[in-house]
Amino acid sequence: MTIEQYAAPETLDELTRLLSGGNALIFAGGTDVMPQTRAGARQFQPYLINASRVAGLRGISREGARIRIGALTTVTDILESNLLSEHVPVLVEAADCFASGQVRNTATLGGNLCNASPAADLAIPLLLVDAELELSSNDNGAPSRRVVPISDFFVAPGKTVLKPTEILTRVIFDAPPSGFRARFIKFGTRPALDIAVVSVGVAGATANMVFAITRVAFGAAAPTPIRGKKTEELLEGRLLVDDTILAASSAAQKDVSPISDVRGSAWYRRELVRTLTERALHDVA
Amino acid sequence: MTVIEKQTLIGKAIPKLDGPKKVTGEARYVQDIELPRMLFAKILRSSRVHARIVRIDTSAARKLPGVHAVITAADTPGVPLGHGKDNPPLKSDKVRSLRDEVAAVAAESEDIAERALSLIEVDYEDLPAVFDPNAALLDDAPVIHESHPDNIPFTYEYSQGDVGQGERDSDVVIEDKFTLHFVTHCCMGVSGAVAQFDADDNLTVYSQTQVPFLYKKDIAPIIDVPPEKIRVIQPSIGGGFGSKLDIYPFEPICILLARATRRPVKLTFTREEEFLASPTRQPVELTLRSGVKKDGTLTFRDVATVHDNGAYTSWGATTPFVIMQTISSLYRVPHCSYRTTVVYTNNPYSGSFRGFGNLQATFAVESHMDKLAEAVAMDPLAFRLQNAQQPGETTPQGMVFRSCGLAECLTTAAERSGFVEKHARYSRYGRGQNGQGGPVKRGVGIASLLHVGGGAKIYRSDGCGTMLKIDDYGHVTVLTGASEIGQGSETVIAQFVAEELGLPISSISVVNDDSELTPWDVGVHASRTTFIAGNSAQRAARKAREKLLAAAATKLELSAEELDLREGNVTRADTGEALLELPRLIRSLHFAKKSEVVMTAEYYEPPSVPQDKEFKGDVSASYAFGTQVVELEVDTETGVIRIVKVTAAHDVGRVINSLGIQGQIEGGVAMGMGYAISEHLLVDEGVIQNPCFRDYKLVTAPEMPEIDMHFIETLDPEGPSGAKGVGEAPAICIAAAVVNAVYNATGTRFDSLPLTPERVLRRLKNHA
Amino acid sequence: MSLEKEIHFRVNGNLTSVEVPVTMNALAMIRDRLKLTGTKRGCEEGECGSCTILVDGVSVNACLMFAVDCDGRDLTTIEGIRTAEGLSPLQKLFVEEWAVQCGFCTPGMVMQGTYLLSQNREMSVEDIKRGIEGNLCRCTGYKKVIAAIAGALHATPRRGEEKEDS
Ligand SMILES: Cc1cc2nc3c(=O)[nH]c(=O)nc-3n(C[C@H](O)[C@H](O)[C@H](O)COP(=O)(O)OP(=O)(O)OC[C@H]3O[C@@H](n4cnc5c(N)ncnc54)[C@H](O)[C@@H]3O)c2cc1C
Ligand code: FES
Ligand code: FES
Repeated sequence: MTIEQYAAPETLDELTRLLSGGNALIFAGGTDVMPQTRAGARQFQPYLINASRVAGLRGISREGARIRIGALTTVTDILESNLLSEHVPVLVEAADCFASGQVRNTATLGGNLCNASPAADLAIPLLLVDAELELSSNDNGAPSRRVVPISDFFVAPGKTVLKPTEILTRVIFDAPPSGFRARFIKFGTRPALDIAVVSVGVAGATANMVFAITRVAFGAAAPTPIRGKKTEELLEGRLLVDDTILAASSAAQKDVSPISDVRGSAWYRRELVRTLTERALHDVA
Repeated sequence: MTVIEKQTLIGKAIPKLDGPKKVTGEARYVQDIELPRMLFAKILRSSRVHARIVRIDTSAARKLPGVHAVITAADTPGVPLGHGKDNPPLKSDKVRSLRDEVAAVAAESEDIAERALSLIEVDYEDLPAVFDPNAALLDDAPVIHESHPDNIPFTYEYSQGDVGQGERDSDVVIEDKFTLHFVTHCCMGVSGAVAQFDADDNLTVYSQTQVPFLYKKDIAPIIDVPPEKIRVIQPSIGGGFGSKLDIYPFEPICILLARATRRPVKLTFTREEEFLASPTRQPVELTLRSGVKKDGTLTFRDVATVHDNGAYTSWGATTPFVIMQTISSLYRVPHCSYRTTVVYTNNPYSGSFRGFGNLQATFAVESHMDKLAEAVAMDPLAFRLQNAQQPGETTPQGMVFRSCGLAECLTTAAERSGFVEKHARYSRYGRGQNGQGGPVKRGVGIASLLHVGGGAKIYRSDGCGTMLKIDDYGHVTVLTGASEIGQGSETVIAQFVAEELGLPISSISVVNDDSELTPWDVGVHASRTTFIAGNSAQRAARKAREKLLAAAATKLELSAEELDLREGNVTRADTGEALLELPRLIRSLHFAKKSEVVMTAEYYEPPSVPQDKEFKGDVSASYAFGTQVVELEVDTETGVIRIVKVTAAHDVGRVINSLGIQGQIEGGVAMGMGYAISEHLLVDEGVIQNPCFRDYKLVTAPEMPEIDMHFIETLDPEGPSGAKGVGEAPAICIAAAVVNAVYNATGTRFDSLPLTPERVLRRLKNHA
Repeated sequence: MSLEKEIHFRVNGNLTSVEVPVTMNALAMIRDRLKLTGTKRGCEEGECGSCTILVDGVSVNACLMFAVDCDGRDLTTIEGIRTAEGLSPLQKLFVEEWAVQCGFCTPGMVMQGTYLLSQNREMSVEDIKRGIEGNLCRCTGYKKVIAAIAGALHATPRRGEEKEDS
């Protein structure tokens, strides 16, 4: 594929116009795009667009009950955010076991979600808080926007509902209520610099003095990051006693459909899903 | 009167001499070399594991603009290379593994060379392949080399005493099969070379070789250049660990392209290529039968091993030399027999790798030591001590332990780690008797090692040359044959010289990177450099010292015995009174009537002997011992092993550079840990599944355990200032200590490696 | 041929401009175009850290970065760490502590160490280990690298708490 144009737009408007032809490959941090293109796993398009210079898309803010994170926010930004460690420490936990310092300094939230790896670490905590993704495009000259819940965003490995003309601009979610507790566990032998063999997230809140789990999510255990619907159902409104936790960790195995690859067999991934779910639930109980 | 106290540099923390150029990025590695008009080379490798080459068409590649040469086997002298001389640099008739070199290109840029490769057409006719060495031994197995219809390039047999008698003497006999896996060196600097011919047909190779002088002789027929016309320059080497001991096809290919184009040619691997096409540690299947008497005396060992040689023979095939030593001589065993069959397969082939077979041997022997101890109800330490070698011993294999700190290593490592108490306590918990709560179990394991520490006489000579000159400012240039691959040999050599000549370390330069200047040496291997090159340098310096003192004595009208060299001065030996500055003394020699320069040379040949036909003999001038205790945690629900602490006690003879030796131990521990718990080159039907750091897991900084190091100084009588070689030792026994610790923690004994989480969990859960 | 683009940036304090293919990574530009070969190529996949450089003061893997993205930025490579006065305190400690063996990982380690120190934060040994988790070393077992960084951390007064009498 010959590249006809390279651009590094500085405004969202410019960016979405460049995308409107539907023939662009964009990169933000480039930590996925660069190695993938080098290895031939991803093709260049006629337009190569550097999205990293677009103003206004990097940063973490809170407006009322809503927390907004710009798509260009780096993993380091997340890791070092006081706002996030106060309100959603589980997202910071995920950022902490992400790649290496150098990669975290470059890798963006938007890139992590749009690359749509089943193992994308930041997707798991965002599934736990029902994040919404703001997608922007240029519709015949007029800026256009739509919002997609994260649970609908991923379609298949490397595939999302993003259209070729669209870009992810923001991730938005309600600041969790007080009494919210969550846990993210990424399986690996190292603190970071590891692609998850399996990752598990659980979150819950206190209602009527009872802490109960409301969300469960899994990474690298299915073609996309997924919610653990069966596990959630089982746990709904229930006190986290040992028997419940045990039952939930078995249910978790029914939620997942892992594959076998060099990082682990399907059998092993299932074992890990059970163990890590159990551990995560114990941690928040 | 100025008085200068006697100082010593031995045992001091002298900073590494080439440190400044490495911390500033100034050091030049092969990857950094650029010569005018240089071309770039790429190799086309086989896409089949075993196939006949029917046709190679390079015409389209040749026509690509920017391509200067395309070569195939037809353009080479056709002389095979490698330890087994069974590996032509470019394959003509057939390919035997996926890494096989089929054609090569030199072009204006790497990109063009890459594109040219994609234009080369090769037609193959697939042949049946074989990947399991046991299957390759069957009568109807595919034949890999026509010259060896049985697929067996080598066998080794060794015996001492009478194993039958040993068996009759035993109260307990156990037998196990151990299986060791593929791992690879992962030097951070990938493989590469730059070659250039001058107008007079002299060849200069910028090479990463660890053996510059043997290299010349070995490569000469393959490229058809007389050895005396080859100059080897060794830029900084981005890690060796044995991987650069043999010649591999890429180097002659680079040279042949330089000759074909009459231009300098550079060839460097990508990281993926480094994984796919560099040597590995040899996978071994080892069946071990051992016996013991009730009183804890070892009676016999009977060992049979099958080595997966891969498709060609490099040094990996000769590791039985070292395996035998550990089996026969780490502990006292009266009766021993050992048989090895080295088998060709269509797998990657193995070279030499730090420890050279000893990781595999020690894994088996030290696993069995624990099992035997348990069988006779002794604790693992007492059992080992009872059977440990002692100083002065000559083993049945003919090794003479002029110094031997094994018992002291054992007791030191055990005491410092609290081994005996912890071992008893953890084993009660682990077996679920006294309830060590939770899924995470703790264990400790112990293992020892024996390795050559004074070279290894595998050639007729195991020597090293030194030339030394002192200029008229008192600056010393040491030209040594010993190569530096990161281990710090240049610093240690400078220390020996500075010590003899009473000079600061900053007055010494070491030249070790150009075969045009440096005297002969056998190469960096067998942990020999400190010992052999150190002895050589020390002796050359002593000659210079004698010369200087004799001249000073004449000048000062004193006797040489009354004088000493300290801090760049000639002093009185007794009072330290400074009498004459060294530079002045040297200048006065230049201007004397019978003028002279101070220049000396030494060739040190260790007193070791080659093994006889039965593999017996005192093959090294010194032997190194060590014991390591590993404390770890096993997560029995995920299979993750976390190494918490390594207590290492090593018989190093004498510490020469305290930081350098710590660095060798720390690096060796990391490498040994990788072998034990994380590194696994996955080879499926000859295809490497994980040729990247993402999935081939080197140990990273956060995984490093606490390391508690102890140096046992046995002052080897032959070693330079008493030192022994320890380059390989620290990596050797960790894996054995790890499996012993895992057994201590869980009651489950592993007989294969690596203990990666999934493999551990499968075993703990009995899941096939 | 890939599309090329002229870019302008600072490297080790000097203004530079080069024309690079838009598909090229910053590592290739630094080594092969700018001839700053101190930055090492260990994997070109972001896994080894040998190629660590600072971009606007932040450490990144040059091999993961598009060279064109250097436009307008301020790059520091290992060649920019030694000052006219000599080795930086961290470089000195690398030498003194034997944090260097073969030296191939060293430029990347020094760059990441320099970045960690520039963060002006107290760090435990665990923090330092995590700080260099993206830098592989096959020789040293990391201990002495950690010691060198820890040494520099305690030797340099952190910003805001410089000694009053200096
Ligand atoms: C060594 C290494 C280690 C890694 N470790 C981890 C890890 O531990 N966990 C993990 O989850 N990932 C890991 N990754 C993967 C990668 O770093 C992350 O996915 C990262 O977040 C991608 O962000 P980026 O900005 O670099 O994406 P880019 O490479 O720039 O882009 C990735 C994809 O997203 C698209 N894209 C980027 N931004 C947008 C946007 N705003 N709107 C629409 N599309 C967009 C691009 O077109 C591309 O398809 C690792 C990668 C490397 C090289
Ligand atoms: S070369 Fe960039 S991380 Fe390895
Ligand atoms: S010093 Fe050799 S890789 Fe680090």
